[in-house]
Amino acid sequence: MPKSIRRIIAAAAWIVIWQLAAFIVHNRILLAGPADTVIALAGLVQTGSFWGSVWQTSARILLGFVLGSVLGIVLAYFAKHEIWLEDFLRPLVSALKSIPVASFVILLLIWFGSRNISIVICSMVVFPILYLNTLEGLKSTDVKLLEMAKVYRMPGTRLLRYIYLPQLKPFFKSAFKLAIGMSFKSGIAAEVIGQPLGTIGNGLYLSKIYLETAELFAWTIVVVLVSFICEKLISLLFDMI
Amino acid sequence: MTIEIKDVSKSFDGQKVLDNFNLNIESEHSYILTGPSGCGKTTLLRLILGLEEPDNGTVKLLGDYKYPFINSGVVFQEDRLCEDYDAVTNVTMISKKVFRQTVIEELKKLLPEEALFKPVKELSGGQRRRVAIVRACAIPSDVLIMDEPFTGLDDKSREAAIAYIRNKQGTGPLVITTHDTKGLEFGRLIDLGTKT
Repeated sequence: MPKSIRRIIAAAAWIVIWQLAAFIVHNRILLAGPADTVIALAGLVQTGSFWGSVWQTSARILLGFVLGSVLGIVLAYFAKHEIWLEDFLRPLVSALKSIPVASFVILLLIWFGSRNISIVICSMVVFPILYLNTLEGLKSTDVKLLEMAKVYRMPGTRLLRYIYLPQLKPFFKSAFKLAIGMSFKSGIAAEVIGQPLGTIGNGLYLSKIYLETAELFAWTIVVVLVSFICEKLISLLFDMI
Repeated sequence: MTIEIKDVSKSFDGQKVLDNFNLNIESEHSYILTGPSGCGKTTLLRLILGLEEPDNGTVKLLGDYKYPFINSGVVFQEDRLCEDYDAVTNVTMISKKVFRQTVIEELKKLLPEEALFKPVKELSGGQRRRVAIVRACAIPSDVLIMDEPFTGLDDKSREAAIAYIRNKQGTGPLVITTHDTKGLEFGRLIDLGTKT
């Protein structure tokens, strides 16, 4: 049986289990079933604010993702060449990796307000992932090829294109795929806490307040879908390079 | 142009590989460095290229010199090719002054045409070595430095490679390390086993 068919069957089996669980619980507030969720999603899609919320959240999260990625890659490049910078950044990177998002959000709400909180949070979550992966990739670059490039005085752009990028590609691919998923998780968590109006996080929060579990699940499916699409686009982009 | 190697010593982990070594490498001359493994052939080439610092002594570039560092065409002991790129790209990548069509013509002199556009990881050891030789000769250089350039080459390919290198030597010196001096009688033989 082809892999794709097996995957579809597995997903369908879980939907059936979910529906059965909803039947057994028989309480839409405690557990909304897939059918209720689809109905709630259909209702959401028809509202004008839905697409606005998806756009607002996605745009901010992607902006944070890009900012964190650029910062991580650039600082990793300099840290590779300056050991003092690597030592200096080590405690910061460790802290960013281990401190819970919720702790940051409260402080950042005071500093930046709720509107842009997901941008800052995503940057902070993405930065250590890209920084560490890029640094590891740079450190594993073949020193013999770098020596060859030095002897031939290869221009920086060619060094980047022919030696660094092929070696960094697998590190970038896994880092970007991990980081995009983490961006959506942390960005929406920040929105739920900060509640900026017209965002997915705000929609999730309102669903919780009004005990609309089906709507909560519907918003969650939207987040998973957008995150999945972004992850696939990243994979596609890397396959094209 | 002369490369003056004066009283050079170099040790690795307490093991002396070069001890007060002296040599003047002069333009238009060829030098064939030979000797058993570990006698310092590769170390000497790396000292000339500035990739190693001598423990004692000096390596100086004398005469009218265009660049602050030695401008060299090099075949390393290993091929040092970018595995996923084809032979043509491996040569053109080193400089924007190296043109694709010229490189294709040059590679054809040493390699079968079908080997030119395959990723080099799919080429045989001898073919990869020849790509490294063409790359070393692709841009005009003040000195050609080749560390065991004929490894993996059969007699016919070796002969063709020697002729190609000699043709490309120009006015600069040529320094080759080898275990097998056959066909290299044109150069001054220096046996590092006896440490001149």
